[in-house]
Amino acid sequence: MMFEDVFSSRGRVRILRILSEIGELNISEIARRAGLNYTTTNEHLQVLEKAGLIRHKSFGRIRIYRFNEENTKARAIRDLIEMWEQETKSA
Amino acid sequence: MPYASVFKDEIKLDINYIPSKLQHRNTHLQLLSQYFRHATETPGKMTQRVIITGKVGTGKTVLAQHFGQGITHEAQQRNINLHYVHVNCRQYKGSFFLILQQLVTQFHPTFPKRGYSAEELLQILMQILKDQNIYFIITLDELESLIQNEGSEPLYKLSRIEETHTKTPMRLSLICILRELSWLDKLDASTRSTLQSNIIQLDAYTQTQLQDILKNRVMLAFKQGTVPPETITLAAELSEEEGGNARYAIELLWRAGKYADTEETQEVSPEHVRKAVGNVYAGIRRDEIAALDLHKKLFLLGVARRFQQTGGIHLSMGEVEEAYNIACEEFNEKPRGHTQLWKYVNELSSFGVIKTELSTSGQRGKTTLIGLPRIAAEDLEKELDKTLEHIKRGFAQ
Repeated sequence: MMFEDVFSSRGRVRILRILSEIGELNISEIARRAGLNYTTTNEHLQVLEKAGLIRHKSFGRIRIYRFNEENTKARAIRDLIEMWEQETKSA
Repeated sequence: MPYASVFKDEIKLDINYIPSKLQHRNTHLQLLSQYFRHATETPGKMTQRVIITGKVGTGKTVLAQHFGQGITHEAQQRNINLHYVHVNCRQYKGSFFLILQQLVTQFHPTFPKRGYSAEELLQILMQILKDQNIYFIITLDELESLIQNEGSEPLYKLSRIEETHTKTPMRLSLICILRELSWLDKLDASTRSTLQSNIIQLDAYTQTQLQDILKNRVMLAFKQGTVPPETITLAAELSEEEGGNARYAIELLWRAGKYADTEETQEVSPEHVRKAVGNVYAGIRRDEIAALDLHKKLFLLGVARRFQQTGGIHLSMGEVEEAYNIACEEFNEKPRGHTQLWKYVNELSSFGVIKTELSTSGQRGKTTLIGLPRIAAEDLEKELDKTLEHIKRGFAQ
């Protein structure tokens, strides 16, 4: 997947930021925090998972998504987000 | 010179503190470890269910927690992923769902709070244990509350869940803590039979044992030379009279220390212990009374007053209801109905404040008799008055 495909959506970036901060969450909670509806959130999550940045685990009807710490790109994104947030705060 | 407290480390007298050395419960600890030997030697081959029973303050909780620390440590050394979790059922209002949710959130802190049943949650817990290769020992403390609220179902499910996966490693063991074994009579026969095989009975501490426990706590919590031996002896003596209740003994000591601090003296004297007696109730903590909701308080107020009027050992449900109605009138509250009061009786009795028994002979039909075993009616009334005072003041204004 191309870099711009992942980052071309504001919603996806927001989801990445939430998961990198919290670690893991279920879909409804991600949707609530990102201010998106369930279907859109679900679509974004699938794109992000396809790119290897997040992973999910199913518990019966519940799906929990987590930031994929094992993925180098995901770790780099998390570092970028952290650095960005810090810089913004101190500015 | 500013006054320096008699305490060195008050936390050592806290109800949640687990002492590094368990006194006078070593045989029980060994027995418990024996029951769970398989957990570290042949994990997954079998699971265990143990009941610990004994009166208030006989060391049930601390025994289980001590065991939990020990076995987790041993498992770590053997590279076994064993988790010990201590759950106080009353803290979760005796709800199986809330207890399971608490267990699941240990592994997934952001797990959704709603949207599934207790059964699903139990399956989820088992899946987590399997996925992460965890062996789990759950202690259900104050089990009375869970039985009271949900009956046999939760224990049945917890003790039988392993039977459905016979070919995979067994992961879930149970320790149940109860004040009285008679609670097991409320369970159905099949649940009872799976639970009843291993019972560890803790007897009340003797005066000498209480003295040992107190000496140890004094060493940890108080500055050297602030607590003379006679203070310890008195506290131990009083606690033995309260049914060998070590929790009471420790609380007495803590409160006595507080009195010494208020008087700015450098010694906790027997007199401070005597003063403390008036403020510590064995088996019932003041904060627990204060935390009850208004109508439970009014109900207890009725009970306390009626006991003082009659001077008897028991009150019938009818008498209590009448007394409660009067208390409600005084506080301008609409009395709750019979069914609700019945719930209060069950709840307060599982909580240990009141005791219920069925009337047998001498009366037509059956009625529930209510007793007040642990606290003097007068003291209970005073305590309730204190917590209800602000409401009364509200009327006056």
